[in-house]
Amino acid sequence: MAIQGFLVVSLLFSCLAATSYGLTFSSLQESLIVTASPKHGQVLSAGEDNIVVTWSFNKSLAAGTDSSYKTVKFKLCYAPVSQQDRAWRKTEDHLNKDKTCQHNIVTKPYSSSNNTFTWTVERDVPTATYFIRAYAYNSADHEVAYGQTTDAHKTTNLFNVQAISGRHVSLDIASICFSAFSVVSLFGFFFLEKRKAKMSQAK
Amino acid sequence: MWPSQLHKKPYVTPQSTIAPFKLTVQASECGQVDCTRSRHLYQISRFPSAESVLRIWKSLKLAHLQRLSNMEVSYGAPPESVQKKFALPVDSEHKATEFRLFSVAAPHMRAFHLSWVSFFACFVSTFAAPPLLPIIRDDLDLTATDIGNAGIAAVSGAAFARVAMGTACDLFGPRLASSALTLITAPAVYCTAIANSPASFILVRFFTGFSLATFVSTQFWMSSLFSSKVVGTANGVAGGWGNLGGGATQLIMPLVFDLIHNIGATKFTAWRIAFFIPALFQTLSAYGIFFLGQDLPDGNYSQLHKSGDKHKDNFSQVFYHAITNYRGWILALTYGYCFGVELTIDNIIAQYFYDRFNVNLHTAGIIAASFGLANLFSRPAGGILSDIMSKRYGMRGRLWALWIFQTLGGIFCIFLGKVGSLGVSIAVMIIFSVFVQAACGLTFGIVPFVSRRSLGIVSGMTGGGGNVGAVLTQVIFFRGSRYSTETGITLMGIMIICCSLVIMSIYFPQWGGMFCGPSSKVTTEEDYYMSEWNSAEKERGIHMASMKFSENSRSERGRRVESAPTPINGTPTTQTLSSALEFVKRKEHAEKITIKPIKEYAHTTSTSICPSKLEIDIASIPKSLIIYTNKFFIAKPKFLAILGD
Repeated sequence: MAIQGFLVVSLLFSCLAATSYGLTFSSLQESLIVTASPKHGQVLSAGEDNIVVTWSFNKSLAAGTDSSYKTVKFKLCYAPVSQQDRAWRKTEDHLNKDKTCQHNIVTKPYSSSNNTFTWTVERDVPTATYFIRAYAYNSADHEVAYGQTTDAHKTTNLFNVQAISGRHVSLDIASICFSAFSVVSLFGFFFLEKRKAKMSQAK
Repeated sequence: MWPSQLHKKPYVTPQSTIAPFKLTVQASECGQVDCTRSRHLYQISRFPSAESVLRIWKSLKLAHLQRLSNMEVSYGAPPESVQKKFALPVDSEHKATEFRLFSVAAPHMRAFHLSWVSFFACFVSTFAAPPLLPIIRDDLDLTATDIGNAGIAAVSGAAFARVAMGTACDLFGPRLASSALTLITAPAVYCTAIANSPASFILVRFFTGFSLATFVSTQFWMSSLFSSKVVGTANGVAGGWGNLGGGATQLIMPLVFDLIHNIGATKFTAWRIAFFIPALFQTLSAYGIFFLGQDLPDGNYSQLHKSGDKHKDNFSQVFYHAITNYRGWILALTYGYCFGVELTIDNIIAQYFYDRFNVNLHTAGIIAASFGLANLFSRPAGGILSDIMSKRYGMRGRLWALWIFQTLGGIFCIFLGKVGSLGVSIAVMIIFSVFVQAACGLTFGIVPFVSRRSLGIVSGMTGGGGNVGAVLTQVIFFRGSRYSTETGITLMGIMIICCSLVIMSIYFPQWGGMFCGPSSKVTTEEDYYMSEWNSAEKERGIHMASMKFSENSRSERGRRVESAPTPINGTPTTQTLSSALEFVKRKEHAEKITIKPIKEYAHTTSTSICPSKLEIDIASIPKSLIIYTNKFFIAKPKFLAILGD
């Protein structure tokens, strides 16, 4: 009885433990201002087009707020329209469960102003609607603040990326050739079988 | 000319008499045989078991066969010349009586290895997409609904195809049927590499899924090549090792993808190239079956049909008897909740671990693979357990074992949806997989006994039911975003438990069901299996395989003592061969007669005309009947009609 009780408790505990630790997004302060070059609704091609990101600390906040910021990590995040019916891109408040931002852009050391960089959209970015978010990390590598190109409801400044299809002409040709070969072999089988049967009958 | 044993046979003094009973034995045909100076020995004895009948006829055959070159030698133990032809020991039908796993001897073990490998290849192809879905869903911009629909499409095609496959095996033989299906679905796998939208993705998964019908050809082929002592093992291992493909693919595909990605292809190209591997494997296995396989120990269907050695049954009759047997439908439903659940899990489990526990693609693949890999031993173990239960408790034991294992599978499925930590989840998943897969093996321990005449179609129906179960489960619980995956899994477990309750309604009048013993009105196995044949067919004698099967299925009674059946009323007057057999069978069953030949009549002809009529007065012989020709109980029956007046 005691052992069963212990097992149940440890099972429950491990379930809870998996969910309880971690920072939440709502606890972060939006202290960075981030802007990106794509306009609202613009379509970028993966692997070809560039994004120019400009970011700085929001000067209207108290002066020492950014003293703990050491690095800033930029990520490409899904807009709500690309999260619909796709539970693998869901937004969760717990940062270690949040799947909104799945594509890393770049990590930069923190500096409070005059920051800009250019990034070519990578070839493995899927077709979707995005915005850009920056997380500021402290020296213990925990998120302490963020900034994003869109508003709190994620409705403005959203841009689209058109992914590469991954298809190549050589692949298409190979697929069709092998398929045709399979079908032709099938007819070959039937023909061979009929011939064998006729031969054994003639014997 | 006469074998010397004949003269040594003892004669038994009749102990009682029956009413005078005159039988005329009439040869139905002699063929193109030279009957000059042939001697036909008609032996009268009490009807023995099939083996002793055949032993008695041994002497006749030797005599007859010296003249008849195109008749088969087939009796208790084949002569040396036949035995040497096969690497494994065979019975009278040339079916192997031993199952040697590490041999590739033609035709038996070679066919076993070819069939499980090709079924494995089909499983790998059908479930090649799920482990790569995290990449594919980004490339093709799939929603959760699209993914659910594709998973449903993958398993829905085979629901119908499995029934059709049973028919195709009957008509064309398992070798041609399975290699044709495997080849015709290979293009769908090649074309997965060029899919570019949710619609095309769903289409390729739909057509690839048809290849799962090779399950039926596997089971059919094994049943044609292995005798009833080992057919359970052969079927269980072939089925289990084929299902292994569903697990192996979760390991193979991420590995292949990684390899190709590391060579330099982008992710969205690498997954496409990766699909060529299962496609090529499938194509090669089809070639292997066609060129190296053989339908029956004696040859392929097309040759045997042309030479008249194989009888073609009436499709509509076979179909009718399959669909009117309610047990087939019940097993189809319950198979939907063991095998169907297995297919569903193959589709969703990698994504579940990837999304819920944040493991990487590779790890999710390994975990998902361990589910399918349990098939290596769990499904064969189910089949073996079914046979063990049957030895002690008969068919009732098989039914109880099936219900218990399937319900336990449902219980562990409920747990699987509830646990939230990775380690415990994996452990529960493995226990769940063992029970569910053993239940699949246990189901096919019962299916061969549901019908003998319509075995192909009943197997196809049960197999198809598995796929229907997979479709239903995915439509209700795993499509779109209505339920989270973990809730869906728990609800699926509850559904398994509920649907397994119908096993309680399976009842065999000769053996009983889960809660009832055999019928109080005495029914024998012959009554059950002979009800599938009408009297016209029995007269033609084409039901003999079922008769033999009925006798072999006596073992399903378990160890209980047989009760005395009611005596047969009246004396037989006009009888055909078959009803004469039944008559004597019942008597034998009641009195456990041991057989000794009682009298012999030798009839010699000195003309070239075969003896057409032999009158035998058996007034003085108690409870006996004449039966046979030299073609009794074997592949090419040519019967003597027995008329009485």
